[in-house]
Amino acid sequence: MISINNWRTPGTTLALGPLLSLALMVFALPAQASWQGFDAVASILADAEQVHEQGLALEMPLVSEDGSAVPINVKLDHPMTEDRYITRIHIFAQGNPNAEVVDFYLSPALGRAEVSSRIRVNESQRIWAVATNNQGEAWVTHHDIRVTVGGCLMTAEDNSTIALSQPRVALPRSFTAGQPAEIRTLVTHPMETGMREGPDGNLLPRRLVERFVVTLGDETALEVHLHTAVSANPYLRFFLAPQSSVQAQFVWHEDTGFEVEEQVSLSL
Amino acid sequence: MSGVDWVVLGGGLIGLLFGGIGQRSGFCFLRGLNGLWLQQDARKLKMFFMAMATALLATQLLVWVSGLDLGRAHYLQRNPAWLAIVLGGAMFGYGMVLSNACGARSLVLLGQGNLRSLTVLLCLGVAAYMASSGVLAPVRLWLEGLVRPSLAAPDLTGLVATTGMSVGLSRLLVTLPLAALLFYFALRKGRVQADPSALLAGALIGLLVTTGWWLTGIVGDDVFDPVRLATLTFIAPIGESIQYLMIATGMSVSFGVSVVAGVIVGSLIMALITGQFTWQGYQSIGQLQRGILGGLMMGVGGVMALGCSIGQGLSGFSTLSISSLVAIAAILLGAWLGLKSPVRVASAGS
Repeated sequence: MISINNWRTPGTTLALGPLLSLALMVFALPAQASWQGFDAVASILADAEQVHEQGLALEMPLVSEDGSAVPINVKLDHPMTEDRYITRIHIFAQGNPNAEVVDFYLSPALGRAEVSSRIRVNESQRIWAVATNNQGEAWVTHHDIRVTVGGCLMTAEDNSTIALSQPRVALPRSFTAGQPAEIRTLVTHPMETGMREGPDGNLLPRRLVERFVVTLGDETALEVHLHTAVSANPYLRFFLAPQSSVQAQFVWHEDTGFEVEEQVSLSL
Repeated sequence: MSGVDWVVLGGGLIGLLFGGIGQRSGFCFLRGLNGLWLQQDARKLKMFFMAMATALLATQLLVWVSGLDLGRAHYLQRNPAWLAIVLGGAMFGYGMVLSNACGARSLVLLGQGNLRSLTVLLCLGVAAYMASSGVLAPVRLWLEGLVRPSLAAPDLTGLVATTGMSVGLSRLLVTLPLAALLFYFALRKGRVQADPSALLAGALIGLLVTTGWWLTGIVGDDVFDPVRLATLTFIAPIGESIQYLMIATGMSVSFGVSVVAGVIVGSLIMALITGQFTWQGYQSIGQLQRGILGGLMMGVGGVMALGCSIGQGLSGFSTLSISSLVAIAAILLGAWLGLKSPVRVASAGS
């Protein structure tokens, strides 16, 4: 939710302030949905020749307890051919300390413009998704989520000592040439933001998996840039539509330069 | 079907069985205490002892055979919020007497046409979320932060193992005598003897607790799509079910919600088969007031104590969690205050 204070201009008197903000809340609600007010989204859409506010689907819960791993799914009914395909999908969290959440750089090899992850949402706010295609068109949508305190007393993420390890890739039972098939990946990593205190009260140093790359043969099929708001043990789901049997390589790059990889052969 | 789907479907089946068995047998912790303390009749309580013993034995056997780590369940805590658990447990126990049934029993009663339970359940569910994430959450969090001395181990098994013996041996040494004692209480021949079908019902309900652990802990064990480790418990899930009814487009069905739905349907089916379905309502304002207050107290208290008579009394107990033992004692204290003490509830009603 946008706090009323953000609306109050310095010149407004105290008495007028609440009235004005009330009026703004009543009359400005439809306009508030616009992306122009949010720089991170606006800067991407500034280059687009045409912006669609319909078509892009952003699926996530309305309410989340604790917000440490909120499932998110973004999809768009759009061809993924060499001539016309979705090039990028970005997710932003307007109220997080760092608005960038995750960026997907897609290719026609995916076969379907649909990606999922689990993200951190640190307060009730608006989540944005932006997609662009190779012909200058862009799509934008948003979703409001409410984050409540958890009912559970569990220590949410106690994995500070675990380094980048255990890459896992779940493949479908079989592939059919050119048909998109679901791929799920997970790697064990704390995704330490650099903003969290350790048991001794000092800030834990920032340590992130910053890049995930999928190559089919020698062509990059998908590149994902992860930011601080991707949940610990980053989970990424996407589609691959190989045209023929091919060797697939999945590589996770940590910001320390360390990396782990997983090789799988996709056979039709 | 993915692991999550199986967990939700299985939760519904567990609920159906719990509802059916609960309706047929009248399984109820409160009625057991009521019988023992006010009518010198321990038959109903024996059913509960039977469930406790079976749940304990079967769950510890499951842990031993499968290596399931119950440490992920919320009952096992190294720093339990003692004050909240004791206060919440006592509130829950007293509320249970006021509204004349706990959360699980209210679901069963609703299934057989008791509309009084509907009022209790609505108050309970809303109050649970008020305490969990709503207007009362800051108070709960403050209370939970007050007294938190840490334990050497979150469960009895671990505590005994601190003497240096292996965890396996300590599990055996704790589980067997405790289960034997409970079986003895349940099966002991006394002035009145529990009838075999009631004991069987208790044992089946105990097994349902273990089935829940197996379902969420082993069937639902998918690293890509983790399921919260849980089994039969009712306070938060009743609240979650109400929330689900309201915002289903923005949330997915969980194990807890499918159990709650299953219990109502299971009880309804059993009541229709046995011809025990009858519409019932409140007969007096006083009864309505007690129902509402009892529901609110059970909701808030149950969240603070991290479980109800079933959640802590059977599920928590089956993990041998130390905070569950404290919560059970607190629930007993609350129930005693409501049934026998000078501040007891005026008339127990129907």
